[in-house]
Amino acid sequence: MDTFETLREIIATKFDKPLNEITPDATFESLEIDSLDTFDIIFDAEEKFGIKVPNDEVDIKTVSDVVALLDRLRAAQGK
Amino acid sequence: MTVRRVAVTGLGVLSPVGNDPKTFFSNLMAGKSGIKRIQTDFVDSLDCKIAAYINDYEPLDHFVKNKAATMDRVTQFAVSASQQAINDAGLNLENEDLERFGVYLGTGMGGAASIEEGYLRLYKEQARRLKPFTVLMAMNNAASAQVALDFGITGPDLTFCTACSSSSVAIGEAVRQIRHGYTDVMLAGGSEALLTFGTIKAWEALRTLADEDEVNPSASCKPFSGNRSGLVLGEGAGMVILEDMDRAIARGAKIYAEVIGYGSSNDSTHITQPSVEGQSRAMRKAIAEANISADQLDYINAHGTGTKLNDITETNAIKQVCGNKIPVSSTKSMHGHLMGAAGAVEFVACMMAIQEQALPPTAHLLEPDPECDLDYVPNIGRKNVKVDTIMSNSFAFGGTSGVLIARKIS
Repeated sequence: MDTFETLREIIATKFDKPLNEITPDATFESLEIDSLDTFDIIFDAEEKFGIKVPNDEVDIKTVSDVVALLDRLRAAQGK
Repeated sequence: MTVRRVAVTGLGVLSPVGNDPKTFFSNLMAGKSGIKRIQTDFVDSLDCKIAAYINDYEPLDHFVKNKAATMDRVTQFAVSASQQAINDAGLNLENEDLERFGVYLGTGMGGAASIEEGYLRLYKEQARRLKPFTVLMAMNNAASAQVALDFGITGPDLTFCTACSSSSVAIGEAVRQIRHGYTDVMLAGGSEALLTFGTIKAWEALRTLADEDEVNPSASCKPFSGNRSGLVLGEGAGMVILEDMDRAIARGAKIYAEVIGYGSSNDSTHITQPSVEGQSRAMRKAIAEANISADQLDYINAHGTGTKLNDITETNAIKQVCGNKIPVSSTKSMHGHLMGAAGAVEFVACMMAIQEQALPPTAHLLEPDPECDLDYVPNIGRKNVKVDTIMSNSFAFGGTSGVLIARKIS
């Protein structure tokens, strides 16, 4: 499962956004997605990938920040 | 400090009998009830299968998808009713000093659906996580906070939680904010959206809910009638614009009425049982503040829940304070009991009664009860009557009463 594509799917469905707006460089601010909603997105991805996201503080601004976080966790947790 | 006069200059309502003041009031006048059979997947697990829902309300007509998803139904109602009231008052908020505006909102149970959804995910679906917005959707002050946020209001923003009198108390306290000069304009009222499985079961257990009328489910709530069997739960919101009278006159606003009296008290007798002394105390305080005599009232919108205890207690309290000549009606017979929103929605009915010079009926009052012997405007509304001064009663579990008096300005 491709991390970016899966994430894009989650964001598009949840927030009614056209896929072409959800680029790796897009900031959540530009997508008008609240910081709390980014966690909702991460929690959905957590379920999809079967990983566990720790409660650490993470600095997330862009879609690729989330992709990097998820890729790191997938690799570490073998998912 | 100079005591200022307070005008009502805008109305907003979402109710089971209409989602704007005009439709709402014309349905009340026609005796139309919004009570019906519950149509949800949990209906089979309910003993009480009737309620009063909001119809034809699509959140996505009012909010974009990701915003709607972060607002409980109670908040959506509050914001939509506020928008109506602002529009009705002809206010352009861009030209206003919003520090001089405030929001006072009553709700009984706040984000009931969000709490229930969280528990369902946790206990039933064994989910490991809840939605990040759960707390922010469920908290009791979410609705008033969102109203302030959406309209940029930076004056006082408070939530009143006194069960069924919440929004009458919110309006009364908001009037005082303007009267004593703390603000110039208040958005005041209440919102409630508690028709969830858990909440309805909790109310069932209290044994205060009406039995379904076998012939006509919409006639199940029968306040002041000998065959009454209890209250019917409902949802909705009512918001009004309260405004410093001089300001309202200066800008040429439409003025529905002046709020001249507010009385609040606690029965301090029992957590559920009302008392004649407590209810009459609140009415007396409101009448004293209004500086009128009780016989100057043209209409009383009763709390009128349709429970035997309330109907008889309220009847005796009204008789004690106001005598037995003033027309009294319970519009809950049609829109159900909107709990934290009840007082505000009924206050909107009173404002429309003054505007239309008409009295909405108590519907489904077919069997006289010898212990309820006032003029309840039974079944048929009265048109072309003089309605200058109204009193709206709200009482509550917990004993907090909120009574409002308003008068048409000449």
